[in-house]
Amino acid sequence: MRLIRKSIERDMSGSVTLYPEEPEDMWHAFNLIRPSDTVRAPAIRRVTTESRTGSTNSQRVHTTLTISVRKIDFDAQGGQLHINGQVTEENKIVSVGMFHTLDLELHRNFTLIKSEWDSVTLGVVKEACNPGDRAEIGAVVLQEGFANICFITEYMTILRQRIEVPVPRKRVGSTTSYEKGLQKFYDVVYQSIIRHFDFSALKVILLASPGFTAEGLKDYLLLTALQTDYKPILHSKKKFVTVHCSTGHIHSLNEVLKSPEVAATLADTKFAKETKAMENFFEMMEKDEFRAWYGPKEVERAVDKGAVGTLLVSNSLFRSNNVAERRKYVRMVEEVKKGGGTSLVLSSIHESGIRLDGLGGIAAILTFPLHDLDESDVEEG
Amino acid sequence: MSRHKNIRNLDLHAGQLRKGLAQVRKTLGTEIPVTDKEIQESLWYYYFDVSKTINYILSQHAPAENPKAKPQPQPSRKAQKGTSGISFSLSSYMAHEHVCASPRTNLPGCLPGIGQGHGSEKKTATELGFFRDCPWGNVPEHRRGEIIVERIHPRGGLLGGSGKMSKLAALAKARKEKAVAEKKQDGEEKASVSLLARLAPKAPARAPTPISKSSLPPTQESKQEIKQKTKQVIMPEPQPEAEPEKIAAASSQGLGHPEDPKTFFPILKDKSIYMPQFTSLLGSPSSFALSFFGERISTIKMNTTNQETFAISGAPTAAQAKAFSEPSPDDIVIAAQSGSKGLNNARKKTDKPVEKIEAAVQAMAIDNAPVKTRKKIDVLEEFKNAKTKESANFVVIGHVDAGKSTLMGRLLYDCGVIDERTIQKFKAEAEKIGKSSFHFAWVLDQTDEERSRGVTMDIATNHFSTASTNFTILDAPGHRDFVPNMIAGASQADFAVLVLDASTGAFESGFQNNGQTREHTLLARAIGISRIIVAVNKLDAVNWNHDRYIEITQQMSHFLSNAGFSSDSTSFVPCSGLTGANIVHDARDKMPWYNGPTLIQTLESSKPQSRGISSPLRITINDVFRGGIQNPVSISGRIEAGSLQVADTLLTLPSKESATVKGIEINEQSSEWAVAGHNVTLHLSGIDIIHLKPGDVMCSPESPIVPLSCFDLKILSLETITPMLVGIHRGRLNASGRVVSLLESIDKTTGKTLKKKPRHVSPGVIARIKVEVTLGAGIPVEKGNKLVLRLGGKTVAAGIVE
Repeated sequence: MRLIRKSIERDMSGSVTLYPEEPEDMWHAFNLIRPSDTVRAPAIRRVTTESRTGSTNSQRVHTTLTISVRKIDFDAQGGQLHINGQVTEENKIVSVGMFHTLDLELHRNFTLIKSEWDSVTLGVVKEACNPGDRAEIGAVVLQEGFANICFITEYMTILRQRIEVPVPRKRVGSTTSYEKGLQKFYDVVYQSIIRHFDFSALKVILLASPGFTAEGLKDYLLLTALQTDYKPILHSKKKFVTVHCSTGHIHSLNEVLKSPEVAATLADTKFAKETKAMENFFEMMEKDEFRAWYGPKEVERAVDKGAVGTLLVSNSLFRSNNVAERRKYVRMVEEVKKGGGTSLVLSSIHESGIRLDGLGGIAAILTFPLHDLDESDVEEG
Repeated sequence: MSRHKNIRNLDLHAGQLRKGLAQVRKTLGTEIPVTDKEIQESLWYYYFDVSKTINYILSQHAPAENPKAKPQPQPSRKAQKGTSGISFSLSSYMAHEHVCASPRTNLPGCLPGIGQGHGSEKKTATELGFFRDCPWGNVPEHRRGEIIVERIHPRGGLLGGSGKMSKLAALAKARKEKAVAEKKQDGEEKASVSLLARLAPKAPARAPTPISKSSLPPTQESKQEIKQKTKQVIMPEPQPEAEPEKIAAASSQGLGHPEDPKTFFPILKDKSIYMPQFTSLLGSPSSFALSFFGERISTIKMNTTNQETFAISGAPTAAQAKAFSEPSPDDIVIAAQSGSKGLNNARKKTDKPVEKIEAAVQAMAIDNAPVKTRKKIDVLEEFKNAKTKESANFVVIGHVDAGKSTLMGRLLYDCGVIDERTIQKFKAEAEKIGKSSFHFAWVLDQTDEERSRGVTMDIATNHFSTASTNFTILDAPGHRDFVPNMIAGASQADFAVLVLDASTGAFESGFQNNGQTREHTLLARAIGISRIIVAVNKLDAVNWNHDRYIEITQQMSHFLSNAGFSSDSTSFVPCSGLTGANIVHDARDKMPWYNGPTLIQTLESSKPQSRGISSPLRITINDVFRGGIQNPVSISGRIEAGSLQVADTLLTLPSKESATVKGIEINEQSSEWAVAGHNVTLHLSGIDIIHLKPGDVMCSPESPIVPLSCFDLKILSLETITPMLVGIHRGRLNASGRVVSLLESIDKTTGKTLKKKPRHVSPGVIARIKVEVTLGAGIPVEKGNKLVLRLGGKTVAAGIVE
């Protein structure tokens, strides 16, 4: 994403013009745009005109529309963002109050007008426009019989395909059906990989599985590529890394990202930091349970007491439609920063973010132990 | 009994009958000694034609020397000859079919003036004149053939089925026909069927459709009678065309006593010519419908009493009715092919019940008991009475490289399941890849990968039997990556054999926090195994040291009692898998300090626990595979509760598809039934393989499991638990789930709530949590099922669904 223009008044209202460059930028836009914001973007609208004789004629017209946002919808698979709202500025084609759904397009500027730009949203803009090295990873998490083909970017984990191929078990006297089933399974995964992955763009392709399935898959991939002379795989032979994990379920990505092979490649990326922070949190929970708290109420009390060293917030909380709630979390983030702590906003469609969402979307590692943060909760309950 | 009699007794034509009776009486006066009943009979035969009735009665009673003459006129000789073998049949629709096929059918339409049928009242002068000089024009009344148009009713198959036999059934029938014909019939009769079959298509389609008597609504009484008849006709239908010969034989015997009411066949034979066959309206159930509804079909049929609507709704021509009643050229070719190559076993399957039914029909005289495809075995009773050996399944668990597979390989070898040659072959091959000590393990580790890596990866199942018990070995992998497979194995077992590596350092490493000795034991206990045999293996590596054995047993018994195994259900056996010491043969020479039982004796003393045989059926699918060309869909798994038998219908969850059990195998031997505790292979039909997955549950359709996507779990935690993503394991089931919330932690001893909504649950605490399945429509679990939660290669908790 590129920042084209930013004009924010002293009362924190103002507009920002952005230029999305890649699908991931839609995710950032999704985190920026809130209901009741105003968005101006190029649009295609179908205009129906009625002639004097009553015949109608409809045309698709390119125009720029300004709408007041009512609903936003993000499609992670396709990387598309649909913004539904009412037109606020009249032009030749539309009048005020008409409804329109904008589909934000890549490589077209859009302007976002907010009545209040808080620090977190500005942080998102800054992050989104950071022209750092993009770490894109293809990952296949598999076990005998099923595989998840996913795509990991800095902010997103996108499940591209889930494959399930029944592999018969070994039986007394005959293992041919097992071996056949396994070959078929590898083949399905291979076909899916070459369909979904752009090998030149990916930094690493992780093959993760319990046991020896990942190695088996790697051998199969390279052998098949050699046999069929499939150049993209042969050229990126070195990118295939096999990693051990405990199951083929997608939640094993946590383990995968923790593993030293991956950590070395991705040391400085945002999600490596996030993964690390989540690990620390769970470790602290086991070591000293009174220094690790989760849940909105508990963390809020800890923030009020100035005890928070690291605050972990999922960005799903900032997407809340309730302005007061959004302000509350922004305040907490700011408080922690003011107190010298670190606050991390985790992407809710990333593995670590999903784990955090399981804990209520917010967690904190405290600098000193606090007891009974949940006391009043029990009384209420 | 006789359908025709029944029809006669119907109230349908009471009015006509009365009127006719009065007329006849009036005309005859009193000089003829004739009873009302006789008159009614005649009226009935002549279809209320008063003049003919009078003629007949006069002819009967005037000469008076032949009082027992048949009341009905004889059919023309030609017709009689042509139809003698087939004009009668038990099943109505058959009757109409065969009678249709007879050459008689075409006559009345062409010769309305001559036939004495229904339409014969209105003969015009022209018609009479036209046929005057024809040879048959002046045939005396008593010699005239009675030519009646047979009503042709639509063969409305229930559920739209054609009611046609399967091709193989047709073939089998043809064969049977031939055999029967050779035995019982002369050449003429033999030829009649095929001859008729050829004649049939030529029958003209112009048969007039007289308005049937049955167009009157039936009275209550008649309805009942129809119901009765309906019951009678249903039974023999599956092999309709096999009937005529038998019946012909029967009728030829019975012909001498046409008036005898007990001689069912001949009366039928004669009267079937007259009767409009409205029972045939019912059609016959298709073979599909038969297998689908079984006996219920009769009930369904009984409800469709309003048959008259069919009777007037249209009569297809003879040619149409016959068009599909025999195999098409294609069918014949297909049948021939399938017969030769063994293709199409679905058809083969249908063949069997048909043969059974044929046999049943032959055995039966007039017994119309419905034929069952499902043998109603009282499985529980059978099980009680069965004098077979006991069967026991045990899982072999332990740390990786403890020697589980080798021990079991040795056991199988010493029991004689594996022959010397195979072991020698394995030995040579193992030496070739530098794993010379692995040859016994190769008995169970069969895949190339397992052999080359020297690690068991999946459960290996094998059987052996001792004098008292049939054992099934479930050899679990020890490697920590394959713990899910071990869970699958343990969930099929009655008890466990824990194998320990006695060599220095190895026992300790298996016993440390991440060792599988520990994890497997806890898992086995959590899954519900309460009996454990500890085999202290590899004692040869420590020189049969007694002290080492004592050290290990002491540590283990302490741990096992902590894990919840009572001391009387744990036993220790020192042994060596590689040398075979104290497994089947005792090894006093090496271990003079041990005089307890050998491993196999200990196994024999382990009796499986009681099983829920009488509860509803539950089978957790362990594997889905193609059981061969005959059985494209087969599953294996353990019957956890209930019982089943061949031809039972099962419901698969969560796919909610039903399947029929085609065959049951227990320990690779086919069986008619199986009960809880058996590890079975089921061959299924009527289901696609995509609806079956390892981990799915098959249950009886009467009491199915409702798949759950969110449920409460009472757990014993083994690691710290917070709301988090987990893998849910149960048998082969391996689903991705999420701990949504922690409800409460519970005191171990008192069972009281320690804390509501704890933030986390520390290891070793009992708690109640809420778990949600993240993918799919839920997993087939129910109250009381034991689940295991794993995360990051560790078992975090074991629990019971609440």
